[in-house]
Amino acid sequence: MAEIELSHIDKLYEGADTLTVRDLNLRIADGEFMVLVGPSGCGKTTALRMVAGLEEITDGELRIGDRVVNDMPPRERDIAFVFQNYALYPHMNVYDNMAFGLKLAKVDKATRDKRVREAARTLGLEEYLHRKPRALSGGQRQRVAMGRAIVREPQVYLMDEPLSNLDAKLRVSMRAELAKLQRDLNVTTIYVTHDQTEAMTMGDRIAVIRGGELQQVGSPTELFNRPCNLFVAQFIGSPSMNLVESSLRWEHDSLYADIAGQPLLIDPQTLSERPALRGYADKPLIVGIRPQDFEVGTADTQRHGCQLRAKVELVEALGTETNVHFCVDAPPVITDEVLELAADLGKEEAARVERRAREGRNEFIARIDPKTQVRAGDTITLSVDTAQMHFFDPATGEVVH
Amino acid sequence: MASVAVRTGPARKKTRARVSTSTMIYVSTGVVLSLLFLLPLLWAVFRSFQPSGDITAAPNAKDLSHLTTANYSGLITGSIHILRYVANSLIVAGGTAVLTAVLATLAGYGLGRTRFRFRGSGAVFALILVTLMVPFQAVVTPLFLELSFLHLLNSLIGLILFYSTFNLPFGVFVMRNAFSMVPNELEEAAYCDGATVPRTLRSVLLPVVVPGVATTMLYAFLFAWTEFLGALTFITNISKLTLPVALLNVETGTFGQVNFGFLIAGAVIAMVPCAVLYVALQRFYITGITAGGVKG
Repeated sequence: MAEIELSHIDKLYEGADTLTVRDLNLRIADGEFMVLVGPSGCGKTTALRMVAGLEEITDGELRIGDRVVNDMPPRERDIAFVFQNYALYPHMNVYDNMAFGLKLAKVDKATRDKRVREAARTLGLEEYLHRKPRALSGGQRQRVAMGRAIVREPQVYLMDEPLSNLDAKLRVSMRAELAKLQRDLNVTTIYVTHDQTEAMTMGDRIAVIRGGELQQVGSPTELFNRPCNLFVAQFIGSPSMNLVESSLRWEHDSLYADIAGQPLLIDPQTLSERPALRGYADKPLIVGIRPQDFEVGTADTQRHGCQLRAKVELVEALGTETNVHFCVDAPPVITDEVLELAADLGKEEAARVERRAREGRNEFIARIDPKTQVRAGDTITLSVDTAQMHFFDPATGEVVH
Repeated sequence: MASVAVRTGPARKKTRARVSTSTMIYVSTGVVLSLLFLLPLLWAVFRSFQPSGDITAAPNAKDLSHLTTANYSGLITGSIHILRYVANSLIVAGGTAVLTAVLATLAGYGLGRTRFRFRGSGAVFALILVTLMVPFQAVVTPLFLELSFLHLLNSLIGLILFYSTFNLPFGVFVMRNAFSMVPNELEEAAYCDGATVPRTLRSVLLPVVVPGVATTMLYAFLFAWTEFLGALTFITNISKLTLPVALLNVETGTFGQVNFGFLIAGAVIAMVPCAVLYVALQRFYITGITAGGVKG
């Protein structure tokens, strides 16, 4: 059991001219499940490997428990690392794979046997103890990798995308299993993933990293409801937040955001919470609306400033929810953040974002009640939960307070 | 095309017929080729069981009824003491195989793992490979002087050192490839599990590169077992001779009167360990050679 503290951690790879990890400050409480999340190449794995001691720390201080471990080799740090490809010892059977660390720690044979069998029981591996890794399925291998970590009873678990090699269905069930296991064992855990769903469902807290820099740390709901910048807003949540370039104007003592000619009232409560918004009157601003904050309604003049008229382009009925795609005639938000996240999703997504930018089309997604009947081509009225709108400065990408 | 053939009945039959024809061609070509290569060997084995006088005569059907082990018993119990030379050769070849494997494994570990990569490690590896191109006849004289200076002439240890030197470049090449195929995570998993660097090499990496080690040992053993010129040059003491040189003595030692029976039986004895080792290690040998070949 231990707390982990990273203070001002830098990583510069030999031959590189920019820092892979820059001034990372993070404190992980005892027993906490901390998820590092970010697009590929953002430095999250490097950060994890520095905690493990597999990567040298260029600058800063790393503490595990009350020890500064900067210059300690991995074997002295009392950590267990779960690799993305599991890294099971191919020549050892499941039992020996799990017992290897205990053997090295000179744990006596009886205790060793007890702990390995206990872990095998927890993970449902009892029948496979004498199999070699190559005779196991992906999910079983993943369990063995977890077992190898558990039996050592280390102070810290470090996991590098341990579920990314599993197929989608298994990933979901292993996700829950792993999260439950961590809660039961109550061991401080750092978990790296690029999958925001994994981060949201598993983590006590999430640290979003971009380009080697920490963007925001907080509980899943905090990140979802109060993202500190465009990047976090876009990254957290699926489907991701709808963003649109807008401008604010005063009308009868109320502030309105203009969405493609349709005004949306800025909630007085929001305005008092974010006084800086007043300074954006008659200036460009990025407005963000989560897909969940839409609702299909009927046109109602009483609700002026809370509704958007839109033509439905595509309806995705998923059973538990329905995603409605519609077009907003306002320039899409194309910032570095948006492009970076699109590029991370693959070439196709990047091309799609670029095409939309060229055409000046902004596609929104609304997640609505599946019982609502909506067809492509319909023109519908959507009510917007204006109290949940997000505002970002177009120049800095920071949230407007 | 194949997937279409699987779905339709008649087409599948046709595919099966074609496969069996090509298999037949493959098998019969293989049989003919292996007979071509095996025949001289089988001939030698057959002749080694004939009385010395019959060997030089033209083959005759009734030879088959005159088989004898006299050549072998003569070699073993007679004045030639072939077992001593077999022992010498086994010591030299075994020693060479072990020494080469140990050194090549350590060198391959150093050159093959990224964590030990240093500026110029590629050049070092290239330099090691370049030594493969030096014909050993070119350095026999300086080597003789060197071994003489070190008092290692007429010594089996000197011969082992000499053979190991010449086998190391290839061994290092094989072992470097074998080590560079091992994923980094395997090594890192061992470090996180609490293993030291030597323990990781011994308990985690070594079992994974066993095919490479087997290949290296086999190569070194066969080289040392069959090497002739070096052994002839560096060993003059008759009790230290290795098998190939000793067999030459069987031929020339009797001043014109060659005992072909002894000669051919000796050659058969010399073949046995090679064949046994090769067959025993064949499984590793093939993976060892091809490992890393694809990755470069």
